[in-house]
Amino acid sequence: MHVDHVLTTCPYCGTGCRFYLQVVDGRLVGVVPCKTDEISQGKLCIKGYNAHAFVQHPDRLTHPMVREDGQLRKATWDEALDKVVSEIKRITAEHGPDSVIVLASAKCTNEENYLFQKLARAAIGTNNVDHCARLCHASTVAGLLMSFGSGAMTNTIPEFEDADCVLVTGSNTLEAHPLIGARILRAQDKGAKIVVVDPRDTPLSRIAYSSIRQKPGTDIAWINGMIKIIIDEGLHDEGFIKDHTSGFEDLKRIVQPYTPERVEEITSIPKERLIDAARTYASAERAMIAYAMGVTQHTNGTNIVRALANLAMVTGNVGRESTGVNPLRGQCNVQGACDAGGLPDLFPGYQKVEDADARKKFEAAWGKPLPPNKGTTLTCAFKDALIGKVKAMIIFGENPMLSDPDIAHVEEAIKELEFLAVTEIFPTATTKLAHVVLAGACYAEKDGTFTSTDRAIRPVHKAIDPPGEARPDWQIACELGRRLGASGFDFSSPSEIMDEMARLAPPYGGISHARADREVLRWPCPSKDHKGTPVLHVGGFKIGKGVLVPVDHAPPAEQTSEEYPFILTTGRNLFQFHTGTMTRRSPKLEREAPEPYVEVNTTDAKRLGISDGGRVRVSSRRGEISLKARVTGWIMPGVIFIPFHYAEAAANRLTNPALDPVAKIPEFKVCAAQLEKA
Amino acid sequence: MNDLGRRLARIAFDERGADILLMMAENQGNVGPVIISKGQDPGDARIDVPYQLVAILTNLLPFIGKAKVAILCRRCDEKALIELAKRGIVDDASMVRIGLACSKEQIQACRCSDCVPSKVDIGEAAEPCPEDALAIELGSMTIEQRAAFWMRQFRKCNKCFGCTLNCPVCFCDDCVLEERTYTPKEGIPPELAFHLIRSFHLADKCVECGECERSCPVDIPLLTLRKMVNRDMKNMFDYGSGDAEKKSPLLTTLDDQPLEDDGHAC
Repeated sequence: MHVDHVLTTCPYCGTGCRFYLQVVDGRLVGVVPCKTDEISQGKLCIKGYNAHAFVQHPDRLTHPMVREDGQLRKATWDEALDKVVSEIKRITAEHGPDSVIVLASAKCTNEENYLFQKLARAAIGTNNVDHCARLCHASTVAGLLMSFGSGAMTNTIPEFEDADCVLVTGSNTLEAHPLIGARILRAQDKGAKIVVVDPRDTPLSRIAYSSIRQKPGTDIAWINGMIKIIIDEGLHDEGFIKDHTSGFEDLKRIVQPYTPERVEEITSIPKERLIDAARTYASAERAMIAYAMGVTQHTNGTNIVRALANLAMVTGNVGRESTGVNPLRGQCNVQGACDAGGLPDLFPGYQKVEDADARKKFEAAWGKPLPPNKGTTLTCAFKDALIGKVKAMIIFGENPMLSDPDIAHVEEAIKELEFLAVTEIFPTATTKLAHVVLAGACYAEKDGTFTSTDRAIRPVHKAIDPPGEARPDWQIACELGRRLGASGFDFSSPSEIMDEMARLAPPYGGISHARADREVLRWPCPSKDHKGTPVLHVGGFKIGKGVLVPVDHAPPAEQTSEEYPFILTTGRNLFQFHTGTMTRRSPKLEREAPEPYVEVNTTDAKRLGISDGGRVRVSSRRGEISLKARVTGWIMPGVIFIPFHYAEAAANRLTNPALDPVAKIPEFKVCAAQLEKA
Repeated sequence: MNDLGRRLARIAFDERGADILLMMAENQGNVGPVIISKGQDPGDARIDVPYQLVAILTNLLPFIGKAKVAILCRRCDEKALIELAKRGIVDDASMVRIGLACSKEQIQACRCSDCVPSKVDIGEAAEPCPEDALAIELGSMTIEQRAAFWMRQFRKCNKCFGCTLNCPVCFCDDCVLEERTYTPKEGIPPELAFHLIRSFHLADKCVECGECERSCPVDIPLLTLRKMVNRDMKNMFDYGSGDAEKKSPLLTTLDDQPLEDDGHAC
């Protein structure tokens, strides 16, 4: 018998908890949290404790498949890879390289994402590369880049516990980022005031100092309202504003009409609560803002992010420990997938593809002329597929058939494609539509790094072999690159890939696998002797001054109507993760949350004759699903909530694909819906 | 391997004839559990990071077979192994205990009143810590105040199951906390019953290792709760966990005679 304890990083949310996988003779039998890890401190959530459970599930894909006579059949790797390459060559020859899009993956490592974007840019010749950050924090990247010059969490996870105030909005932290939620509770135990603004009562809001419910889609109103109160009461930080920001006068002007009374009208937040929240946040010595999808997934998501940045800047809560604006990123490597350049407008390290100097640098490194225009986004690619502009898609480990808004349209778009290749670990709604399916390795079967939400580079170590003939995605990407005739895809290990990325992406300049194993390094880490940067913007913004961008409230894209009188909002629960590909195959997680449900306010339920656990039909202008009602006082009247994990009642059949004009993120958080007893 | 590791290996393999050794070691800056056979280098042995090795071992038991296991054992671990042996979960004869005396700091952190293993192989015996300050504080409160305190603590629970998964004496194949009968609500926090059932379920087993408290992401003072229940067990039944001779009062008949069974009930 041989027992190993292999230290690796959790594959679920972006907190980046580390644990040991217990391996007995090639079999994963358990998870032991790592006590010496700075972030997780020997603690995990239920998902972390069950992170071994899906890995050796019998449903795993163990070999490549190609579609023949309408059916997927087993194929050799040569056959499957050659099929992908010949189809991509045929389609690019006919329609040009921009008819192809590569979807990178927030579930894959930094090294793999680096290769995915290199595959798109250097091997296929298009900037059409994107991933599901488009669906979660695209508005953060755009918004914070503009306000601060850097689109990531300004501070670190451990700092939460030393804050004097934490303003949490649009984040069900204890369920979606349990270990970050735990840090926030620790802050509260130490005397900090926690203010939660959310249309739903969450496990965190229910024990927070202040829990405030706003009508979905009214965030800028209450944020501007808070800023106005802070300025009117002289609670702003004049020194910080003068030294480190620009645009204060314009901001002051734009927030003027947001009186507490007007804010109450728009958001239904009682004015006393708003005033108290403003005073609490502004008078704290160290105040942190934490937010997630409730902020970003709106057609004005980018502007809400800027509004939050304004709030932090006018109170001088940037550039110090336990302050800042902290987007909580929801996937193990969604931060890294962005850092590694899995975005249509950015090379690795946030260098713009439209910047000639940056392009020259990458052309020299990759030995190939690169396309000068930014590519299309994931969300636009489906629209482009419908009009025949995008003809082929290579998807690494994503499941848009469940994760994207308005699934009926996504399906229509995918069916319009001439070619779809999907690399996956399990059969999904998306692999069902693919022409070629490639069997990938999951986190426990490969080496590499994830980057956590607080920019820490977290090593991933191989504990067991992939099942059957399945291969790590980095090897698949290398094979595709080589077979497409490109040079620079001859890596023999993920560590070599990181070395190349470090040479080309300045924030990662000092990162290597050897260092990441021994130290908690947070980017920017520009050189081998640099210790990493826990707190961003210390002593001022790199772009000179932080930009106070005046933004105005705008209503959501879709309004309620007589036919669709409810506001539908979507999100996660603690026990499931995203499209459930992994968690629904983990018995202990599935047991806790086995079926889809819609949360309905008690008074609404009573009026409609809906009982707790009773079956209901929910419809929107795009589709209809049937599921059980969970009748609760924890959601506002007029608002309903559905978790998006469940294929059998997919919330995204209903959601609105309307996009934020800057970030192209869809408005998952607001659409008009009807609710009826089934 | 450092000197400590060599010493542990010598005790386990050369002196006491073990097949495998379960201990803690440092690799690339992190300390974690390791299992080695004779001649294997585990990295530098460490004793200052309190992994719950008995809990780690019980997870591996179905795979271990007949191997003779040496385990680094604090006094609480020793008592946990006794409780497990009493219930037929581990075979005492196939275990080699390497006695670890906890450091002063660890004893303070655990508010531990019984901290010296029966045989000290590693470390030096230090003074016990007699009191748990929070338990004393709670003892001076009214029952209503105490209930309010625990309710406030339990409302933070986000049902990670860390307290059971890392518990050396939680060994049921089907955990009662996973049944809807007792914790019917979906979501978090779980009902009060979740904590009360766990509390009673461990009443005759808990060895106060403190791993539940250390594992709790939201800092519920679970070790204090355990100590208070154990104190009641002592006062009411003159029973303390980790005593190889005494039968659990939960396994006695109503007329105080021990039940004769195979000991598997709990």
